[in-house]
Amino acid sequence: MIHVQSVTRTYGATVAVDDISFHVGAGQIVGFVGPNGAGKSTMLKMLATFLRPTAGTVAVAGFDTVADALQVRQRIGYLPGDTPLYRDMVVEDLVRFVGAAHGLLGGALAAALARVIDMCGIGPVLALRVRECSTGFRQRVGLSCALIHDPPILLLDEPTHGFDPLQVMAFRDLLTRLKQDRAILFSTHIIADVEAVSDRVLIIHQGRLLGDGTLAELEQRTGTPGLENIFAQLVSVGVERRP
Amino acid sequence: MAGIRLVARRELGAYFDSPIAYITAAVFLVLAGTSFMNSFFLQGVIDMTPFYETLPYLLIPFVPALTMRTWSEEHAQGTVELLLTLPLQPLQLVIGKYGAALLYFALILAGSLPIVVMLSWLGAPDLGLILSGYLGAFLLGALFLAFGQFLSSLTHNQIVAFALATLLACFLVFSGHPSVVEVIDGLAPTWQPGTVMADAISCLPHYEAFVGGLIGLDHLLYFLLLSAFFLWLTQVGLRRIQY
Repeated sequence: MIHVQSVTRTYGATVAVDDISFHVGAGQIVGFVGPNGAGKSTMLKMLATFLRPTAGTVAVAGFDTVADALQVRQRIGYLPGDTPLYRDMVVEDLVRFVGAAHGLLGGALAAALARVIDMCGIGPVLALRVRECSTGFRQRVGLSCALIHDPPILLLDEPTHGFDPLQVMAFRDLLTRLKQDRAILFSTHIIADVEAVSDRVLIIHQGRLLGDGTLAELEQRTGTPGLENIFAQLVSVGVERRP
Repeated sequence: MAGIRLVARRELGAYFDSPIAYITAAVFLVLAGTSFMNSFFLQGVIDMTPFYETLPYLLIPFVPALTMRTWSEEHAQGTVELLLTLPLQPLQLVIGKYGAALLYFALILAGSLPIVVMLSWLGAPDLGLILSGYLGAFLLGALFLAFGQFLSSLTHNQIVAFALATLLACFLVFSGHPSVVEVIDGLAPTWQPGTVMADAISCLPHYEAFVGGLIGLDHLLYFLLLSAFFLWLTQVGLRRIQY
């Protein structure tokens, strides 16, 4: 459902994403892991059509993110990094606004709202303004916006940012429930999140994809046990190779 | 159309949610009303000319204060990423925001209607002239809102957006002011650059035509085309974010 082919993205002279290729199929949760500034957010922004690739092609649900951006946007649920939300809006109005932008109206919108309230647990803050919510609840509101139209593809940038341990566990459980028939790509620098829910791992560092596979495959390839050690090894090798 | 209405509704909500909008509107109406009353009692004429004469100068700071947050706040809070990854075209976003600002401006302009009621009660004002003046005032505001929105889309800083829009408004108004035209004409009497600039660029002669009761196609086109040009520039700028 997500096909990334030889994608490069530059900001002026800075190469944020360097010739990356990967794919994510339906029913898969893929963890996109890398240190801060590795290029994870840039890659997700390109998948969400917010940025165009400088080179290469990105296709989501069979649609090109540049030529068919609107088609792509209808099929993705996107949680941007730092969860940008209208701080002065009431939570319910905000989620309704995003739902309506996705074409949900009347009863369908009410049903979708009830579904995400239950799924993301935003009931207690529904009548509050976004600025009055805690970081964890803001993140859940962002997640509700991403899920309101029940999209087949989820792109989540640092989704557990600001969550307490219980919220992290609830989120992992939610991802596992959402996985059926959906392609989920989430970025994080928290290795435990990836190990807990991902079917596959993409390791990115300095814009380059250093690893792509299941945890077992990566362990076999590197001869190193545990994602943390694999990550450390691949990143150090990647740094050494970099001119 | 549904997308435009959705964005406009959200924007209107944001206007009426902010105390700054109410304060700005109140200050504008008090200033406009006071300046009208001064001239009205001094001249003792039953028409709205004093109100219309002051209006362009009041709009110079007032409209930029309305538009400064339009896009710069979206950039600063990162919500532009939320907006531009919804299945809406940039032009829908621009027109939606513009429509909301126009409606808000029209409501504030309608706040001056008690003057018309008072004039009608005191005598028999030329209602055609009043209506033509209101049309001119609305079109002048529409132009200021269009370039205010465009300039707001260029920066993350609301103060910068306000300053840029105020400068442009000053230029468009004062370049048609008789004393400014005379001074500039004096710099090169053969070419009369002040007159050329006033005829070609300034909004003041076009606005004054409406105030004088002349609804000419050239004056109408000046406002409509220039406003449309700035709206088009705004959506081009939004599309450029992707590069």
